[in-house]
Amino acid sequence: MDPIHQFNITKFYILGHIGGHEIAITNSALFMFAAVAIIIGGMLIATARRSLVPGRAQSVVETSYEFVADMVRQSAGESGMKFFPLVFTLFSFILVLNMFGMIPGLFAVTSHIVVTVFLSLVVFLTVVIYGFWHNGFKFLKLFVPSGVPVYILPLIVAIEVMSFFSRPISHSVRLFANILAGHITLKVFAGFVALLGGLGIAGWVGALLPLALTVALTALELLVAFLQAYVFAILTCIYLNDAIHPGH
Amino acid sequence: MRRQGESSNLAKALRLSSEFVAGIVLGGLIGWGIDHFAGSSPWGLIVFLLLGFAAGTLNAMRSAGLVAERGTGKKD
Repeated sequence: MDPIHQFNITKFYILGHIGGHEIAITNSALFMFAAVAIIIGGMLIATARRSLVPGRAQSVVETSYEFVADMVRQSAGESGMKFFPLVFTLFSFILVLNMFGMIPGLFAVTSHIVVTVFLSLVVFLTVVIYGFWHNGFKFLKLFVPSGVPVYILPLIVAIEVMSFFSRPISHSVRLFANILAGHITLKVFAGFVALLGGLGIAGWVGALLPLALTVALTALELLVAFLQAYVFAILTCIYLNDAIHPGH
Repeated sequence: MRRQGESSNLAKALRLSSEFVAGIVLGGLIGWGIDHFAGSSPWGLIVFLLLGFAAGTLNAMRSAGLVAERGTGKKD
């Protein structure tokens, strides 16, 4: 009945120790492996036939390719397509993990902030490293808006730098908080059904309301699961756009 | 296809609030860290919290499309 219990990490197999820290296969790691296996396996099976007129599975894969490719082209331009593998990996990985979380009894990996922070740091470091590698010190022009009077420029630059460094925070917290809050709400409403049901016949009638809400929330959470994967991917494109064209 | 995840107002609200809060949290952390290591309490916290507040506001306005994207002169 505890709504937090579903986020417990359990260790299945301890691999060894590195510097006093236990390295173990947890349920979180297991679901990540499963997600990768499903994505790669699904892609390979669906595209194995390579028919000109795609079958059902092949057209799902083709549609998702077009979907992500359009997103990258619109947000980061044609030269952003070199980052397509990164964006597609992030999108499909997060989407599958979120969908795992929607299956009752399975574990929602993206409800742990350490996972989402790592994903957003991958994006952030890619932006910083590629930005400096591609543009050199012109990358720093990102922080200097044009047409600002000199006497307030230091303040503006400080604010822009802070705004830049707050990106991985908002990028990761958004995904984590949405999934966490959604799952807790679902669990609490579903818990009401069982609690009210314990009161007898009148309780079962009263339990209809939270039951209906749970059904509605499940539909909403399915939407959120997709939407958050999409938002994560599109923000990745927008951030990469800064690395590709700083200051235009 | 709907764009930018702006399809639902809830998604928009969550997006804007997380942008705003991220700026303040970062400012608070940096300020607290500077005070902790330089012993300049409370000035680091005051200055960086204010900067973080400004950065958070800028983030939120930028993601609402009210301020031009960084580095460009054009409004989007």
